[in-house]
Amino acid sequence: MQTATKKRFFAFLVFMVLVLAGIAFLAPFAWMVSTSLKPLSETMTLPPRWVPSSFQWRNYPDAIAAMGCFWRYAGNTVFLCVMTVVGTVASSSLAAYGFSRIEWRGRDTVFLVLLATMMIPFPVIMVPIYSLFKSLGWIGGFKPLWVPSFLASAFNVFLLRQFFLTLPKDMSEAARIDGCSEIQIFLRIILPLSKSALLVVALFQFMATWNDFLGPLIFLTEQKDFTLALGLQSFQSQNGGTAWHQLMAASTLVVLPVMALFFFTQRAFVEGIASTGGKN
Amino acid sequence: MSRGDKRDLRLGLLFISPWILGFLALCVYPLLSSLFYSMCDYSVLSPAVFVGADNYRQMFFDPIFWRSVYNTIFFAAFAIPLGLLMSLSLAILLNFDLPGKGIFRTVFFLPSLVPMVCLAVLWQWMLNGDVGLVNNMLKPVFHGINGVLGTQLSPPNWLQEARYAKWGVIFTGLWGVGHAVVIYLAGLQGVPRHLYESAEIDGANFWHKTWHITLPVLSPVIYFNTIMGLIGSFQVFAVPYVMTGGGDGPERSLLFMATYLYQNAFDYWNMGYACAIGVALFLLILALTYAATKLSGRHVYYEGK
Amino acid sequence: MLAVLAAVLCSCSDAGSGQGAGRTVIKYWEKWTGFEADAMRAAVDDFNANQNRIFVEYSSVSQIDRRLMLATSGGVPPDVAGIWSKSLPVYAENNALTPLDKFAGEAGVSRDRYIDVFWKMCSYRGHLWALPTTPGSLALIWNKKLFREAGLDPERPPQSIAELEQFNEKLVKRRPDGSLASLGFLPAEPGWWNEIWGWWFGGELWNGRDAITANSPGNIAAFQWIESYPRRFGSRDLLALRDGFGNFASPQNPFFTGRVAMVLQGPWIYNFIKNFAPPDFEWGVAPFPSADPARFRNITQVESDVLVIPAGAKHPKEAFEFIQYVNSQKPMEKLCLGQRKFSPLRECSDGFFQKHPNPRIGEFLELAKSPNARFVPQLTVWTLYSNDMTQAFGRVWTGKAGAGEALDEVEQHVQQAFGHQQKRWDRISGTLTKEWNKP
Repeated sequence: MQTATKKRFFAFLVFMVLVLAGIAFLAPFAWMVSTSLKPLSETMTLPPRWVPSSFQWRNYPDAIAAMGCFWRYAGNTVFLCVMTVVGTVASSSLAAYGFSRIEWRGRDTVFLVLLATMMIPFPVIMVPIYSLFKSLGWIGGFKPLWVPSFLASAFNVFLLRQFFLTLPKDMSEAARIDGCSEIQIFLRIILPLSKSALLVVALFQFMATWNDFLGPLIFLTEQKDFTLALGLQSFQSQNGGTAWHQLMAASTLVVLPVMALFFFTQRAFVEGIASTGGKN
Repeated sequence: MSRGDKRDLRLGLLFISPWILGFLALCVYPLLSSLFYSMCDYSVLSPAVFVGADNYRQMFFDPIFWRSVYNTIFFAAFAIPLGLLMSLSLAILLNFDLPGKGIFRTVFFLPSLVPMVCLAVLWQWMLNGDVGLVNNMLKPVFHGINGVLGTQLSPPNWLQEARYAKWGVIFTGLWGVGHAVVIYLAGLQGVPRHLYESAEIDGANFWHKTWHITLPVLSPVIYFNTIMGLIGSFQVFAVPYVMTGGGDGPERSLLFMATYLYQNAFDYWNMGYACAIGVALFLLILALTYAATKLSGRHVYYEGK
Repeated sequence: MLAVLAAVLCSCSDAGSGQGAGRTVIKYWEKWTGFEADAMRAAVDDFNANQNRIFVEYSSVSQIDRRLMLATSGGVPPDVAGIWSKSLPVYAENNALTPLDKFAGEAGVSRDRYIDVFWKMCSYRGHLWALPTTPGSLALIWNKKLFREAGLDPERPPQSIAELEQFNEKLVKRRPDGSLASLGFLPAEPGWWNEIWGWWFGGELWNGRDAITANSPGNIAAFQWIESYPRRFGSRDLLALRDGFGNFASPQNPFFTGRVAMVLQGPWIYNFIKNFAPPDFEWGVAPFPSADPARFRNITQVESDVLVIPAGAKHPKEAFEFIQYVNSQKPMEKLCLGQRKFSPLRECSDGFFQKHPNPRIGEFLELAKSPNARFVPQLTVWTLYSNDMTQAFGRVWTGKAGAGEALDEVEQHVQQAFGHQQKRWDRISGTLTKEWNKP
């Protein structure tokens, strides 16, 4: 076969595999949207029904009304997302730099300790953390939800460290010889070259905060402070049955912004570093 | 230490100072607390009473605890490599210059964004023994086997049978590869294109290029995702919890260590015992991560080291 | 489009508009959503309107037990919380609640006001810990149409377990390939109360003092009855049958589609029937039959949502005033009507039954009044006990263990955990009882 035809056939194969796998991955989302437009009686059928018998667009305004303070929750959520993204990117990149671009005694041992901190199951530390925030008087406010992001979470430090380590050592050496301080190397050389990784960290943090349910559940007490993820809980009922159609409508509204965010940014971080495809 | 070393140490610590603060306040203090609680009889609302190694002794003789350990290790042993394979393959495929790749990438990430309940509904349907998608696809296969071997086999009721329930959960866990795929995609951008070009000139095909260029350059990212996969699968909790409605599954086959911990902490008001389980889980993950790191030493290639 | 805009402008409706200025504000955390929350909100609004000293702030809280535990341990609990009656022992023994005896005494609230079982349920270790809001009881619900079709008298439910099984055999339908299409009764459907089957066989779960009696003869007899199901119908067939059941909250609920003709359920089944069952669905309510109807009649499990005052609440007196209000006849009837349940009070107006949407609510109420109305043992290890019984049920159901063996294991495990709890209680009972008895 000609190389060009081989390439085309190969590309076609890849495309087909992606389509098939894609259908499987799309199914939960498709079910969510389709259920958001069904009448209640069609929501939990087995096997699932993919096309509603009649499109109940009113589920959407009904859901917003049922949730109470939808726009207020949205505002709270956006506020927290912005704060946590800023805090995370700033503190994690600084810490990752310290763990990768400077050689200091005991660095790798401390790094292993950092890794270890990710292995602590959350319910175990939940109560001590709660009482820590209680003694600071922060329970009932937003501070427990965004202040920790300024303290460099292990996950993001780990991620950025791995990326920083792929950048050649000689770059930093050369800059040091030229008389640059570490902070200058950090700001002028390392950060610009790590745009894709930083964007990934920012995106993940945004999505994590947007969907975070446990944090707001534990730390927020006033209903007006709730976030969208917490507000979605108001549809789960005990003895009357959950209003699945409205819950899915509300969930779709909550998912769409982050989905759009992902779609528009994935191009930036996946194709962002187009120059020479490398760091040299 | 030389002056240069001292300077490096000072700068290093300065850069990681935000992490150090977080580490002390949100890790060391809670960890020491929970270590203390693990040696107490503690129910959160009553003051803790020191009981020494009682909880650990109880844990050692608790058959339910060991079942949870078995379930967790079983799950991790299969979920980690399968997840690795799946996410890496998907990332490589999604890196091709195909039409609509932006849409594809979003599609594969979607399961990480939709509420857990949507995923649970889908999976419960797929794994349903009667009308489920998986079994409907397997039925003709079983028919064929039965015809040839004269047996009476039929596909299992995945979530209702102890032997198969975990496979159901491992299968559904594959929907969660979104984050790993994204990280691989970002990492794939860091592979210098000139390496591929020179390889092509030498006549390398897709597999050669992948094995000899992509994977080695990607190795720090692979290490990252493997460790995160390890930590994640040992702490598996949300998916089985939602699928079983907060229960243990048939014959406790879906009781994982994190589930048992949660049950003891919040359902049985035994926070002390829960902390002991937490300590055990922590040590298990720590040991395995250490082993993984030592093993990876030769295989992970850092250009910046 | 306009509808969306309107919804946007009307949002934030419960952001506490028009707060009582100069009033004592008390916080009330409740687990309900939807129409149940609306019913309680109406009661709250009535209370706020009827006097001007106290203002109750109602919040719908999900995962209320987690949050209540954390908030109480952190010293910032709400003033009133709505929890479940079965949680009372564990909260009380962990000093998470304020005893209500004093308040009740002063307000003239006593056991005469209530159907006996509810007062007993709210008392533990000699103190009153809660007052009920909306109760439920369990009964046999049967599909009259299916009875008729199978040649059974649609107005006559089974009077004993033996008769239940006779009816069951008549109601079984198999498909041509031998698989089960439907059954008369399936103990695993809905499978929400696996621990209590022994009650209908004369078994007890606890001797009230020091022994867990999971493996008492009555309980073993019940589980042998459970065991008979896979023996008679085939374990695999039963699993396949259950897998084909639709979701509970859907028109494919197996009871509504006729795949089971009888179930054990509570008064809320009416809500589901109204929303999901076919319009010609005919159903009856009767006491669930026992193994020996001469000795054990009208056995039911009663449970209730209850209101408590967490320990450390800032305004316990005002909190009790609100609880008291909800527990007076008119507001209570309005609340229970709104939630379509019956009232736990002894006195019930005729108007209540006339207005009640559930035509069979009277049967559920009668059962709650029966001398054999029981509630789950007041054990701090109840959740563990319940989980273990569910596991035992599963093992017996799939033929993995015999009734005696499975229940022996439960008894051993729970007795051990119970022993631990007893030790804990012995340690702290002195200080706790002193605190509870403070004038």
